[in-house]
Amino acid sequence: MADILLDIRNLHARVEGKEILKGIDLTIRRGEIHAVMGPNGAGKSTLGAVLTGKPGYEVTEGSVSFAGRDLLAMAPEERSWAGLFLSFQYPVEIPGVGITNFLKTALNARRKAQGLEPLKAPEFLKLMKEKMALVQMKPEFSKREVNVGFSGGEKKRNEIFQMAMLSPVLSILDETDSGLDVDALKIVADGVNTLHTPETSAIIITHYRKLLDYVRPDVVHVLKAGRIVRTGGADLADEIERDGFDKF
Amino acid sequence: MGHGRYIAPAFGGGVHTVGAGERLVLDFVILPGQSQDLRVEVDLVGEGAEVTLRGLWLCPADERVSVTVRVHHRVPGCRSSQLFKGIVGGTASVRFDGTIIVAPDAQQTEAYQENHNLLLSETALVETSPQLEIYADDVKCSHGATVGRLNEDELFYMRSRGIPEADARILQMISFLSPVTANLSETQKADIESALSSML
Repeated sequence: MADILLDIRNLHARVEGKEILKGIDLTIRRGEIHAVMGPNGAGKSTLGAVLTGKPGYEVTEGSVSFAGRDLLAMAPEERSWAGLFLSFQYPVEIPGVGITNFLKTALNARRKAQGLEPLKAPEFLKLMKEKMALVQMKPEFSKREVNVGFSGGEKKRNEIFQMAMLSPVLSILDETDSGLDVDALKIVADGVNTLHTPETSAIIITHYRKLLDYVRPDVVHVLKAGRIVRTGGADLADEIERDGFDKF
Repeated sequence: MGHGRYIAPAFGGGVHTVGAGERLVLDFVILPGQSQDLRVEVDLVGEGAEVTLRGLWLCPADERVSVTVRVHHRVPGCRSSQLFKGIVGGTASVRFDGTIIVAPDAQQTEAYQENHNLLLSETALVETSPQLEIYADDVKCSHGATVGRLNEDELFYMRSRGIPEADARILQMISFLSPVTANLSETQKADIESALSSML
């Protein structure tokens, strides 16, 4: 069996004093794709936020180890350098900051943390061009400000583009399928499948089975009221699509 | 702006008169540690006169800054555009008074003024008071003022991509100021960026 990449044990977390995660246990090995499904308010997005270190999310109990390190002790940027990536459910607009400058700053900050020289401009531009093609983004997107004036579908594609640029070890896709038409969904799914390797893993947080038709998960979890109430194979997603979440 | 005589860009405060067909561009930068009382007065006295005013203040410590701007449209068909941005922290206090006066004869006036401020601390103070005195009826005028803080969602988004917190805040401040700094010299931009780095 492959190495354990992420090990979540008895994770409790609260937001604004309210307990949202009530004891999550989840183990992900390298190469695995896990889906976390559940109704609104189950704690799915909270799980993504806690794993990436969003301020305001307080862990009250439990531990998370990521590639052998104590994830919860790391700052959000350190988690990124270690290979964690979150595709945001609602990508943030950053007026005045161009996509090219944004990603160059991000990539070079990580290189600096790893003791590497900054990427030279031609290398960086070549990488951008290659990864933009992967998600079928037009070259002129590189001149735009981060997410400003993007449609819902463009924002989600921009998330997958950034994921491609940062080549994470563990990607968390938070409702990446919401608001996408079938064509955009296929582009996003192709991107995710292309970037997937035997060394990298993904957590797909979703409400519906849609995306899972294109990216087949190895393991499916049902999250409800802050706990994982059922774990199964890909066929569990079919069962949910047919019967809903009520029976769990 | 293809018509008229171009008056060389000026820097700082003072009283300026702009005649028919002339255009004035005036920039000012108040760097950290510079407590001051800056007054700018512009008289648009000839038809078709134009003025562009841009300024910024960086007051991270205990500065006392007062900026007073008066733009007087005295004749028809003039245009004025003003944009001021400030970043204020520590126990600094900044007062901005901006007045646009449009005389009764000054029809077809276009006058715009904006002032936006970022607060870096709970104890910093910004008072901004934009005023319009319009005595003509065929004019296009607007003004706006805001006082806000660095956006925490933007900050987390950048950090989640691996940009360290301090660099992310500097990037936010550079982008906040960019509409004002876009036309400054490279030396001035470098001075501003190094001032921002020392402000956190």
